Amino acid sequence: MLRGIVRLSVFVVAMGVAASIAHAAESRSVLFVFSDNRLLPTNIEIDNAFREALLAERHEAVEIYTEFLDRARYGSAAYDDALLNLFRQKYSGDRTPTAIVAGGMYAVRFLLANRPAMFGDVPIVFAGMSVEEVRTLQPLPRNVIGVPVAFDYRGTIIDALRLHPQTRHLVLIVGANPVDRSELERLKPIADELSDRISVEILDSLSIGALQTRLRALGPQDLVFTQGFFSDGEGRQMIPREAAQVIAQASRAPVYGPFTTFLGTGIVGGRMPSWRTVGVDAAHLVSQIFDGVAPTAIEVPKTTASTLQIDWREARRFGITEEQLPPDATVLFKEPTFWEAYGRIAIIVVVVMLLQAMLIARLLHERRLQRQTAAALEESRQNLTLAAQTARLTTWIWETRLSGRDSGESSARANGDVAVTDFDAVIQTVHPADREMLARAVHQAVALARELDVEYRVVKDGAVTWLAARGRADEGEPTRLRGVALDITGRKSAELEVEQGRDALLRMARASLLGQLSASIAHQLNQPLAAILGNAEAARTILSRDNLDADELREICEDIISEDHRASAVIRRLGALFKRTDRLAVPLEMNELIVETLDLLRSDLMTRHVTITKALSPELPLVLGDRVQLQQVMMNLVMNACDAMSVVPAGERTLRIRTDAVEREIRVSVSDRGPGIAAENLERIFDPFWSTKPGGMGIGLAVCRSIAAAHGGSLTALNNEAGGATFRLALPTERAA
Amino acid sequence: VNEPVPTVFVVDDEPGVARAIARMLRTAGWRVETFDSAEAFLDGHDSRDGCLVLDVNMPGLDGLQLQQRLHDIGDGLPIVFLTGHGDIPMSVKAMKAGAVDFLTKPIGADALIAAIKAALGEHAAAAQRKRDGALVRQRITQLSERERQILDAIAAGKLNKQIAYELGVVEQTVKYHRARLMRRLDAKSLAELMHLVALARNV
Repeated sequence: MLRGIVRLSVFVVAMGVAASIAHAAESRSVLFVFSDNRLLPTNIEIDNAFREALLAERHEAVEIYTEFLDRARYGSAAYDDALLNLFRQKYSGDRTPTAIVAGGMYAVRFLLANRPAMFGDVPIVFAGMSVEEVRTLQPLPRNVIGVPVAFDYRGTIIDALRLHPQTRHLVLIVGANPVDRSELERLKPIADELSDRISVEILDSLSIGALQTRLRALGPQDLVFTQGFFSDGEGRQMIPREAAQVIAQASRAPVYGPFTTFLGTGIVGGRMPSWRTVGVDAAHLVSQIFDGVAPTAIEVPKTTASTLQIDWREARRFGITEEQLPPDATVLFKEPTFWEAYGRIAIIVVVVMLLQAMLIARLLHERRLQRQTAAALEESRQNLTLAAQTARLTTWIWETRLSGRDSGESSARANGDVAVTDFDAVIQTVHPADREMLARAVHQAVALARELDVEYRVVKDGAVTWLAARGRADEGEPTRLRGVALDITGRKSAELEVEQGRDALLRMARASLLGQLSASIAHQLNQPLAAILGNAEAARTILSRDNLDADELREICEDIISEDHRASAVIRRLGALFKRTDRLAVPLEMNELIVETLDLLRSDLMTRHVTITKALSPELPLVLGDRVQLQQVMMNLVMNACDAMSVVPAGERTLRIRTDAVEREIRVSVSDRGPGIAAENLERIFDPFWSTKPGGMGIGLAVCRSIAAAHGGSLTALNNEAGGATFRLALPTERAA
Repeated sequence: VNEPVPTVFVVDDEPGVARAIARMLRTAGWRVETFDSAEAFLDGHDSRDGCLVLDVNMPGLDGLQLQQRLHDIGDGLPIVFLTGHGDIPMSVKAMKAGAVDFLTKPIGADALIAAIKAALGEHAAAAQRKRDGALVRQRITQLSERERQILDAIAAGKLNKQIAYELGVVEQTVKYHRARLMRRLDAKSLAELMHLVALARNV
């Protein structure tokens, strides 16, 4: 920001120093004395450029001292004396500088006046002084050198014409003051030079008003150059900068001037030395002094190189583009570009946008994934449907609410893919034998929020289909069950075949058992028959007599009847053994079944001299089971026990049958007093077709165990401590089952 | 000889069966006693004359065991077995042990009565044979040493010449002793003599 900087005055104080070049060779130092405050932007720029350039040129340690005379605030003789004393204190002896740079007119004058007193003959390099200023100091001592600053009128005008190629008319302004008049001399050659290209008009000694009127009439094809003036045509005094301001404000054409001080008044710019160049030039001279070159021998440029300096605000106003500017041009007042001003924000915004873009991209990607997922889901659903169709799996939703409540609604309502069906309608399609079971299971599942797992038959057009349904209550609609049904007709028929096979085995086992029982059965039947026949024969004989004994005949008849009943009871029991029935689960009194079984086996037990002791629990719960099958098990166990005891003396053949209720099952223990079972055979005896008996088929116990298992129970064998073996049949009680 | 009246003893663990059999036999004219077990029969009967109608399958002592027991104590009561179910081993065992018959229930009156009659007749015949055998044995003890030697040889089927040669006598002497012993044993032919020998030996 150079606005407001007044023409710089730098005073270089030469300090007379006895020690000079030879001395400086050892420890070179330079004192830079500025005329003004050290914080002036101009001074800072010169100082920085000077230090950089000097240190770049010197490959050695260089001491740089700086002093700021602050002339504007303190300028007085007493002040100069005080400074003199101070500098003498500071820079005497070893600290005497090798060279002194004087920045600006005041510093030069101060140093020229006091150098001998302070430093002797130390060379002085002046900086930042115009050609005109330097001229006023002539003649200068020989070891005072420097590059004067040139204010380049011609260069400014040439550059301006280059920036405004459309220019047809050049306006030059000259004031009425004698100094102003001398400018005319400087401008004329330039005007002459350009007159063959463009027309040149010189506004000489106009009043401000006239000047302004004229300037307002200018257009884009005109160009104004001014060096300012000190007095207008009416004698009005002003400094050149003020003049420049007036001119720039009034002109419709671009205004150029050669002084840096004009920058900011409204002129577009001009060819001017930059303060940076001033610093660099001074450093170059100092460096040569350090090298021991005699100041008179140093080649000093005539003027500081100038560069085009442009007030960007004005330049833009006149349509100048940055491309038009020469590479060394300095652009001032250029508002930072968007990037420069908001770079960080822009970066943040860009980053945010990038992030957003990434986010959007991600979301788009996600959406794509989602679509893919949806597609995959759909495919999966179709696969599932296909699988379900292949597996004959159907999904269903059953409404179990009483249909009366929603009589208006149709029986099937859509719910997604699956229709909601009233359970009442469902139950109508179910095989009558399964309806009650299914209804109970469904209502339990709903009431207890339990999983439904049920198999049932459906009748459609007379064909029976077995279905296995699994489901659970709908979370939103607790009266609804949602689930799947699987067609298990195939499995069921296979199961039936297996069951039929099992039944066949059961019957075979039963037939084998009956074969063993035949003696007993025959005996049991023949006994009553014998009694009946005997009685009948007796009666016939009695009837052939003359004197009938009616009482005896009545007795005989009663005996016959009772024996007949006995016989039919035996046949009934036998019939139960032969009967081929569906498996039935009916509540059974196990003690009763045992007693009946023993009855049936009575004669056999007798023949085998087996004594039975019974310890039947009076409080035995009922079991759910198939009477015929359980009787078969009991018969088998008793017969096996008898077989086992055939090797012991008749008097010791005691069979003990015991029933107990243990927790949720009942146990029937059949203990013999035989030789027991070899430990390694305790399990094998239950294997099918494994028998220790000669001629045994080895299916009895296998079948017994399968019957026990089918009842949810078990059949195990163990050896008694006191000898013999015990077979234990455990069956779940009716409640447990 | 004062022989007791023949009685039919019925042993059956089923009272109904025992009662019916007893009725049937009584109407046929026999005196009948019933027992519901083998043990009861052993305890309760003292008569050694008659016939036993015995059930095979009974708790405690069964029919076959009772037969064995009776044989052990020398009771020759003829036995007709009655069984609800008889298999061949069982019947062979019974018959070998001297059973008169082995019948299966239900049994008609005629068959049972015939069996009992046979049993009683056999029993009587056996008793007669026993008595005849004892008589013959007693007569044999009265023979001379030489006559007994010649009897044994005749029973063994030897000819007079062989006997004479073995005893170191002439055939005439053998003939003499043979005629004499036949006279003393009251045998009119060789066949009769052989029958007497069999009676005597069948103890």
